[in-house]
Amino acid sequence: MTAGLEHYLVVSAILFCLGLLGVILRRNLLIIYMSLELMLNAANLAFVALSRFNNNLDGQIMVFFIITVAAAEVAVGLALIVALYRKRQTAHVEDLTLMKL
Amino acid sequence: MNYFELLTLAMPETILVIAALAVLAADLLVMREEPVRHRFVVAAAISCVGCCAGLFWMFNIEQHASVLNGMLVVDPLTRLMKAALLALTVFTVLVSVERDFTAHVGEYCALILLATIGMMFLVSSEELLMIFLSLELTSLSLYILAAFNKRELKSAEAALKYFLFGGTAAAFALYGLSLIYGLSGATNLREIAKALSGQALDPLLICAIVMTVIGFGFKVAAVPFHLWAPDAYQGAPTPSAAFIASGSKVASFFIFAKVMMLGFAGVEGSAVWRGMISGWVPAIALLAALSMIFGNLAAIAQKNVKRLLAYSAIAHAGYALLGVLTDNAQGVASLVYYVITYALTVLGAFGVVAVVEEFSGDSQFGNFAGLARRAPCLAFCMMIFMLSLAGIPPLAGFFGKFYLFAAAVGSESTNLGLLWLVILAVAMSAVSLYYYLQVLKQIYVAEAPASASTARPSLFTQGVVAVLAAAVVVLGCAPNLLLGRLLEAIKVAGLY
Repeated sequence: MTAGLEHYLVVSAILFCLGLLGVILRRNLLIIYMSLELMLNAANLAFVALSRFNNNLDGQIMVFFIITVAAAEVAVGLALIVALYRKRQTAHVEDLTLMKL
Repeated sequence: MNYFELLTLAMPETILVIAALAVLAADLLVMREEPVRHRFVVAAAISCVGCCAGLFWMFNIEQHASVLNGMLVVDPLTRLMKAALLALTVFTVLVSVERDFTAHVGEYCALILLATIGMMFLVSSEELLMIFLSLELTSLSLYILAAFNKRELKSAEAALKYFLFGGTAAAFALYGLSLIYGLSGATNLREIAKALSGQALDPLLICAIVMTVIGFGFKVAAVPFHLWAPDAYQGAPTPSAAFIASGSKVASFFIFAKVMMLGFAGVEGSAVWRGMISGWVPAIALLAALSMIFGNLAAIAQKNVKRLLAYSAIAHAGYALLGVLTDNAQGVASLVYYVITYALTVLGAFGVVAVVEEFSGDSQFGNFAGLARRAPCLAFCMMIFMLSLAGIPPLAGFFGKFYLFAAAVGSESTNLGLLWLVILAVAMSAVSLYYYLQVLKQIYVAEAPASASTARPSLFTQGVVAVLAAAVVVLGCAPNLLLGRLLEAIKVAGLY
């Protein structure tokens, strides 16, 4: 059996859901960032697969840009963690409680 | 298509990039030893000159082109949007000049300019890759701007919440876009619409629509994706919050409408009462209804003016979404008129909040007590902003709502199908009057506490806020200044 488009899409959907679950359930900011990356990479996998089966290269070009943007996003995110950690000595979402409804 | 042609088309953005680099260079190389206030004035001056140069270029060299498969579209409509964004940037920078939330003024102004560049590319693109990239450029700059006050604990927290929600939203939008690309094989919005229009509404397409709506719903802070907004507005330095609430809202709403109307033309469905057909319109109708109800009701309970403005922003997002789901030229025109006037109003309101914060530490209701005696000019401007947000004629907020609601009712004129949403919107606007008047009651009726500072706001800030208030009044009294141009531009741009 060869892997068809649907296999790739199912894998990418699973990755996306795992990432989303991680973002929602995990409490450590670094792990949440990793889960965010997983969601972006799920989109990357979908783009590459769809590009291959659509027979055009636009999707693969998208992926290069998305990888770059993801790196930039993590850089900003880590900077924010450092800013938080300097003030509060914590990297857990339970401690982000200064502002509430 | 050669590079020189591309450069002239992207000249306003290029000018802004140069201005951002010039701000950084001037601040970090030349002005190192100067006091912060002087550095801020110089950085702001360079930013404003850059923005004005961009405006000057756009209005003197009439261009009309769509290059690189729609990555850069230059026509009267995008020109108008860019002009509005540049004006909002100038006002944001002017409102920030006298604040002292940071010593890194060069980076601050440069980031504002970078965010503006992102927004400008965002409004002038009809291509998925470019939309994603410029959206990220805007968002990343805004996350940093929200964290800019390093002395304040809340600032980093606000930025982190904004970042986490924004990052998730970006992932959702991206996954949605990847499915759209897969279904249509194209990355240009118009080509996507062509490829999609014949297709049945299969599960994958519904998935793509829902994910895109979720992604952009986060950006415009529509319920249930609004959770970041109150915290980000409250914790971020006030000028940054003003920028998040004004400029980025204008750009996000415009691109949201464009993606939906251009990219998903043909799978609209319908939100008519008792006659819903699945598609993207009912999804947005749901967001709009929830945002209007929840935003207005939650705002009533607020005791902090910045949080109140955040919840009112959520409610206003609900009204503005009516313009998106109206899905015709009149809808786009009223949507753009509404968000631009809303952005001017909220920017002015944040300007007043910034002054009050400077006097008394934060923006709790109590700190506004007796503002009318201490700063009559600012208090009067705040009254104009609040009444405009509530939608009292003859201010711009009233006409914005009027055109939006008229467009929504008119779009299904045979059976008045969207009337249920409009009735809901009108009822909720009546609710909103209550909490806006609460703010005014503090300003005009409540006595100032004995401990209140007697400092007077500077003439400069008063002047900037007064100009914004004047703009709100003028656009309200003569809406055709903007609306007429918009309708013409939409016709030329071929959006419909």
